[in-house]
Amino acid sequence: MAVNRLPRPRSLAEMRASWRLSTGAVVMGAIACLVAGWLITKAAGDFGLFVTVTINGLTLAALFFVVASGFTLIFGLMRTINMAHGSLYLLGGYIAFELQASWFADEPEGLDISIGQSAGDTEYGLLGWVVPLLIAALAMGLLGILIHQTLLRWNQGQELRQALITIAIVIILADQMLAHFGGIARDIKTPTSWPGSVEIPLASGGIGFIRIVVLGVALLVGASLWAMIKKTRFGLITRAGVDDRDMVSALGINIPLVFAGAFFIGAFLAGLGGVLGGTMLSLQPGEDTRLLLTSLVVVIIGGMGSLGGAAVGALALGLVQAYAGAFLRFGDTDLTNYAILLTFGLVVAVLAVRPHGLFGRPA
Amino acid sequence: MTSVRTGRLSPAAWAGVSLTLIVLLLAPVIFSDFFYGVLLTRALWLGLVAMSVIFLASYGGMVSLAQVGLFGVAGFTMANLVAADGGLPAEIDPWLAVIAGLVAAVVVGLIFGAIAARSEGIYFLMITLAFGVMVFYFFGQVTQLSGHGGVNNIEVPSIIGDRVTDPAPLYYICLGVSAIAFLGVRYLARTPFGLSLQGIRDDPTRMRALGYHVTLHRMVAFGFAALIAAAAGILSVWYNRRIGPGSVNLGEVIDVLVIAVIGGLYRLQGAWVGAVAFVLLDNYSRSWTPDIGTVLGPDRFNTLLGLIFLAIVLVSPGGLVGLWERARDWLRAQFGRQAARDGPGGPPRAGPGGEEGDPGPVAAADRPTA
Amino acid sequence: MTERNQRRRWRKVLLVAALVPLVALFIGACGGDDDNGDDEAAENGEASSEPVRIGFLSTCEGAFGAFYEPTAGGFNVPLINRGATAVSEVPTDGIEGGEIAGRPIEVVGYGCSDETPDVAVEEARRLVEQEDADVLIGPLSGDEGIAIANYAKEQPDKTFINGASGAQDTTLHVQAPNFFRFHTDGAQWSAGVGDYAHNELGWDTAVTIGDDYSFPYTSVGGFIADFCGVGGDVVERLWPPLGESDYTSFIAQIPDNVDGIYVGIGGEGLIAFIQQYLDQKGQINPDEMIGNLFVDDPLVLEEIGNRVIGVTTSGNTAGDSTDPEVEEYVAQIDAVYPEVAELAASVFVYHYYTAVEAMAQAIEEVDGNLEDADAFHEALSNIELSGVDAAYGDVTLDENRQAISDNYIKQVVEGPDGPTVQTIARIPGVEQSFGGVFTSETPPPDRQNPPCEEVDLPWEGQSEPVDFSE
Repeated sequence: MAVNRLPRPRSLAEMRASWRLSTGAVVMGAIACLVAGWLITKAAGDFGLFVTVTINGLTLAALFFVVASGFTLIFGLMRTINMAHGSLYLLGGYIAFELQASWFADEPEGLDISIGQSAGDTEYGLLGWVVPLLIAALAMGLLGILIHQTLLRWNQGQELRQALITIAIVIILADQMLAHFGGIARDIKTPTSWPGSVEIPLASGGIGFIRIVVLGVALLVGASLWAMIKKTRFGLITRAGVDDRDMVSALGINIPLVFAGAFFIGAFLAGLGGVLGGTMLSLQPGEDTRLLLTSLVVVIIGGMGSLGGAAVGALALGLVQAYAGAFLRFGDTDLTNYAILLTFGLVVAVLAVRPHGLFGRPA
Repeated sequence: MTSVRTGRLSPAAWAGVSLTLIVLLLAPVIFSDFFYGVLLTRALWLGLVAMSVIFLASYGGMVSLAQVGLFGVAGFTMANLVAADGGLPAEIDPWLAVIAGLVAAVVVGLIFGAIAARSEGIYFLMITLAFGVMVFYFFGQVTQLSGHGGVNNIEVPSIIGDRVTDPAPLYYICLGVSAIAFLGVRYLARTPFGLSLQGIRDDPTRMRALGYHVTLHRMVAFGFAALIAAAAGILSVWYNRRIGPGSVNLGEVIDVLVIAVIGGLYRLQGAWVGAVAFVLLDNYSRSWTPDIGTVLGPDRFNTLLGLIFLAIVLVSPGGLVGLWERARDWLRAQFGRQAARDGPGGPPRAGPGGEEGDPGPVAAADRPTA
Repeated sequence: MTERNQRRRWRKVLLVAALVPLVALFIGACGGDDDNGDDEAAENGEASSEPVRIGFLSTCEGAFGAFYEPTAGGFNVPLINRGATAVSEVPTDGIEGGEIAGRPIEVVGYGCSDETPDVAVEEARRLVEQEDADVLIGPLSGDEGIAIANYAKEQPDKTFINGASGAQDTTLHVQAPNFFRFHTDGAQWSAGVGDYAHNELGWDTAVTIGDDYSFPYTSVGGFIADFCGVGGDVVERLWPPLGESDYTSFIAQIPDNVDGIYVGIGGEGLIAFIQQYLDQKGQINPDEMIGNLFVDDPLVLEEIGNRVIGVTTSGNTAGDSTDPEVEEYVAQIDAVYPEVAELAASVFVYHYYTAVEAMAQAIEEVDGNLEDADAFHEALSNIELSGVDAAYGDVTLDENRQAISDNYIKQVVEGPDGPTVQTIARIPGVEQSFGGVFTSETPPPDRQNPPCEEVDLPWEGQSEPVDFSE
């Protein structure tokens, strides 16, 4: 959401910072070359595997983008860190799971539901996935508005307090979800009409079709958000509100309504992400904090408030995770279990050079 | 910009402070073994970590979520260097290991500080959270140093003995370290470093214009907070005789934040007030939580904790200590017209265990206004 | 200051001075009533009317939180068999009444941890030190068990019996003299399946995959000890980091030319793993996959059962057993907790049941005298469970107070009500060391251990075919 600004003369601090940037950039460039070289060697070794892993990384990045874009939208506009973003993700997923199991399961005759919902042989039509998806995302959007209006609207500007309030919500929601949905992992089912696995040319092994769907949804989300921000009046007001909230208010525009709308969109995206992730990965306690941390990492890398940054951050995170999981081996040494650690190393590396993320701006 | 106010306690405050001290010193006599040896001791070192958070928040203006990570670095370093099940095979003198642990945490703290100090406000919060989580993953995945199972059966210095038969030595050590840390921070606040740190908290631009190296000050403050957190880490390892990634996971980070906020994010003593409240709640809520359908019950003590936390954040951002101060001010207003007598400077701030010279709430959007 | 204001100030001082000690005394009174009770009982020595205080520790948060009530059900039933009555259908609401060796039963608390060892030890402390439990039954998950076993060493006069945690080290390395485990450990749950893979399914090479933490290390370790012991070769061991729910990078590394894969993924990730495996490989060839005991756990089968039909698994319970002892065991649970009875074959329910049954028998053995801790521990070490008390196989303890019992090889099959488990073989008398592969001197199972070596497995070729479907 970069806004056009008149260039202004650079201060001494900025000039010094940019000089620091260039040494940092040199170091980063060197690391990037090493990484590229290592990937090329691995690709040359087994190209099919490389393609499979890359596509898996891209689709994982797509999921991360959907979730993180909502997070960064809320922050960019309202300076609110919504720590409950991951909880909305998980709750949205659970709601979709429940809806699917209770409304749409077409069971072959004679199936006795013994313990809870039996996922055994049920079949699902396309609606059985799409309708729960939309309802769950909408529900999360509305919940987001509720949270914003009751708990966050009146302390706008007190960022720390808002962060603490949303942390309290995380604690409560996590416990309640555990109580109501249990601890066992849940899996949202794809429509039976979809192929389970698709063959991609050049790849060894198949790719889950759902991952392609997720990729498509992410592209759609990205395009829609970009269009909304650049082309619509709402987006225009949003951008103006980011720059100067008081002036926008003085111009008679209903800023609280804009904020509510933005929070709705952010929470909607979290819920949407939850359904996608619940289908592609799984739903279980712990996913809420995992996805919150993921969003955090993506947004730290990409820069808070920047949609393009969220895309770049998501790509970086998804690819690093995928490549590290497969290729972090040097001869006989297997370091693949350090994949998660590497992603955090990435965060530190980016921050050391650009304290506000790649495309972020100081507050 | 706040100024240092001379420390002058009212008689009420003196009574409160001395009584608290007497109770704490005589705890092994007054309370049961379990209460002081398990609950109070745990509250002491938890309070110490929380105080490192509060120190950075109130004196440095930075809310850090990396303190638990630094607490872990110290604990794991020490655990690996002494005789234990798991971790490195090294077996050095426990006291040397303590020093190694403190040093390691301070070094890591300075590195984190160097990276994070250029960010402010909410960015700082997020970055320190990432650091804290990184420490968790690091120790969870490097099996040579810990792995998922952690380091068990850690040897403790002989002075501590057997915590079960005689919890008193460990209790007094925790009490002593907490007191030293508390007084140390109070003293630091009056040194030139402490004063410039508070200045940076209030107005970094002006301080920069005056020639102060803002980033360096913040970095050093972070290192000092790391030292406090490291001490807490050592104490926690002596208390548990084990340490694992579960000791520094996201749940612990949030618990420490909850403690700091419940106690009072801008009062040092709030750390221990919050810690005692948390430990008591954690312990007794498992049996006493009322049953409300499936929403509340003894298993749902986390919901209860979250609700209490939410209530405190909404109602009294100054935490329990802030609540106390408001109540006390209100009582004072009822009992006499002290406000008119004392003039526009406001009444001398005092409270149990409290003392003037604490930075009062400063008029910025985030500070709790009493 | 004026007279009046001075008086006001002193009034406030007195108010504070009065309140604080009152508060302190109040807290002291609440905290201070715990350390008096035992002295009288110690004087009595013999069976007194002092209750037997039992603590229960399980997991109510995290992935295994769903097993909290079932484990409590398994815990309660042996006490109900001795005269207690259940307060309600919810096991953790507790029990009332009952006697063991003439002493009333008192369950001091149902403790709950979140799978982290620190919280487990805190709960243990609360139950043992504050609530003064004589015996603690628990915990549920692997790493907690090691921490509790270490804690047991701090409390030599108390007794600790494992709940369901399967980490090998808990008994093999920690060796606390007052910590007992009346069920087999995670490695023992893989006993015989390597033999089956090599000699029945014809596997010469295998790949293992498991999450990067102790329970998968143990169950994969058991498979490797078994499979390599009979001559197989494990060519690759994959360890996705714990907390990773995207296994695709690791699935992609599974070579196409191995004879089979052993899946040691813990319960949380298994569902995601199976789905992603299907997505990438297109299908599961059941003769080429063996899973650990999570595969056939009822709650997991519910989610993924129809995708793993034909896959082999192993564990120390046989869900389809028609032995009269098993039916009686299930009936006992069904009489009180029908919902738990459906999960009676789950290791979680069964292990807590055997733990409490063993404890009760040992208390009866010493006539209720728990004050002589050494005698009580001696009695526990000599307990042998059989019949309905250990419906899935007789249990005896070895010198580390670790159970020696039977193991079963099973397959997931299509049943009338959905996917279910069919037992195909039993391996009797599995002991912890796998014929010397695992001793207190060998390194605990981890990413590289145990090494893949041929050994003399005590049960090679000893498996007895079993067919419960008549």
